[in-house]
Amino acid sequence: MPYVETMTPRERVMNALAGLPVDRTPVSNPTNVATVELMDLVDAPFPDACRDPELNARLAATGYTELGFDSIQPYFTIIQESSALGCEMQWEQKDNWPTVRMSNPIWKGEDDVKIPADFLEHRDTKSVTGAIEILKREFGDEVAIFGKSMGPWTLAYHVFGVEPFLLMTIDDPDMTLRILDKLKEATVLYADAQIAAGADAICLPDHATGDLVSGEYYKRFLQEIHTEMAERIDAPLILHICGRTLDRMPYIAQTGMAAFHFDSRNDPQEAMDAVDGGIALVGNINNPETLYARGPDEVRREVFACLEAGVQMIAPECAIPLQTKLQNLLAIPEAIKEWSAERL
Amino acid sequence: MPIVHEGLAREFEYVTREDEREMILAQIEAGDALMQQMAYSLITGDHHAIDELTQKALGEGREANDILDEGLIAGMAVVGVKFRDNIIFVPEVLIAARAMKAGMAHIDPILSASGVEPVGTAVFGTVKGDLHDIGKNLCIMMMRGAGFIVHDLGVDTKPDEFIEAADENNADLVMMSALLTTTMPNMGRTITAFEDMGIRDEYKFMTGGASVTQEFADDMGADGYGDNAISCVAKAKELIGVAQTARSG
Repeated sequence: MPYVETMTPRERVMNALAGLPVDRTPVSNPTNVATVELMDLVDAPFPDACRDPELNARLAATGYTELGFDSIQPYFTIIQESSALGCEMQWEQKDNWPTVRMSNPIWKGEDDVKIPADFLEHRDTKSVTGAIEILKREFGDEVAIFGKSMGPWTLAYHVFGVEPFLLMTIDDPDMTLRILDKLKEATVLYADAQIAAGADAICLPDHATGDLVSGEYYKRFLQEIHTEMAERIDAPLILHICGRTLDRMPYIAQTGMAAFHFDSRNDPQEAMDAVDGGIALVGNINNPETLYARGPDEVRREVFACLEAGVQMIAPECAIPLQTKLQNLLAIPEAIKEWSAERL
Repeated sequence: MPIVHEGLAREFEYVTREDEREMILAQIEAGDALMQQMAYSLITGDHHAIDELTQKALGEGREANDILDEGLIAGMAVVGVKFRDNIIFVPEVLIAARAMKAGMAHIDPILSASGVEPVGTAVFGTVKGDLHDIGKNLCIMMMRGAGFIVHDLGVDTKPDEFIEAADENNADLVMMSALLTTTMPNMGRTITAFEDMGIRDEYKFMTGGASVTQEFADDMGADGYGDNAISCVAKAKELIGVAQTARSG
């Protein structure tokens, strides 16, 4: 007998984040699901769709209206706050992600760390809060609206440059901690603004990735700060860290955050074992090989592997390549429904 | 000389693969106590010590090439192994790279003036849309240390910039790096741009980056893939013979 969906997408997502029962596993992407095809479909191209609330909301909504995901994420990039902090930006064109020119960092030391008074009024931070307000009006009761606020580690890469910042962690770890503590306030400020605008949950990317630093680094520099943010920010938090992260998942599971969005380089079952029920997991369909270069069958296999492992919310592992084929994204909710129909 | 430096001996224990132990030990044993001190200082990222020791070694009349191979490269090889095996991570590699730079500041001018025939020529950039360059810079450092001429194209390198640089510098290798899964497909687009110009077969293409795999490199149509700076150099050397043969043929 086919299973019957009894929850709205929003209820499904919020229950999954709260560790409560769901009618089926939700499909989401805390980072975002923008593609060139979707931009063309609703005439909301990058970079304008990252800087104009109306276009921003229009493109974000396609995650639900066209792809059938259970949440909408209107913050597409990882650089909106950095623009407001004064970083040199490269806004790119429709087919490329906007970036911060990290080779021209704006700050050198802790005395430079100052959050501008107009941080929340800057065009590039307001584009997201404005989009959330629009989406909340249009879809608020139906779909989960996600916000996103970059963590202090990621902000530090942008304002100091990746290499100078990582060298700083060795040359002066105490100053590094003080800097992270100051930058954390920008994260909290922007998260609070998005919650006030109507966000149901906040994705918190903080790229202490397995490719760059150790699990011990996470524990030493970030675990306490993440714990504090989970206490202060009044919405479920979804931490996102790329790369191999099994070594830090036990620490992440103790932060009090609602969920951890994890990368395909971590086996779903091993990840579930690593967090041991301490935090929900979101993930981890491979982007460059599966979603970008393969077909729906391969997507389906990965979705099934996540579901079999008990991953609480299915999602691409990170922001997807902008040229990702829609049929591969559509295959994610289809696979979840197929799996649920067979087993529920 | 066998390893007499206690710190270096401890560090060498991290090298467990037999072929790597043999290769690195040969480099270390070709040098003396001063070179061992240099290798150890490089592994621990002491750039002040490397600066002083390099000047001292040159002042004592040692050959720049010997200092490079027996001191700096020997140390960097241990760093590469520890990084690959997740014993150390990027911050520790960066301080070793900073130390290497301190030594190379004295050695590079001497090597450049010596007119030694390069192993090969490469153009190396982070692909379009990606501004991450730590991995690329480490690979370039190791490749230059191994005798390659490497033209650093920087970050956010567009396909036509790769094409222009490869042509201008008569490159053997086109090397592409990407950190982000969102920008990795631009490696394939770069190779396609060479195909569209009808010049794909004039070069060998290598890819690398944290999320890049051999499977992905194959999908993109690359000739080679390196999962770390050491294997990048080894693969480049392997491909260079093929590239140079094809060119001369």
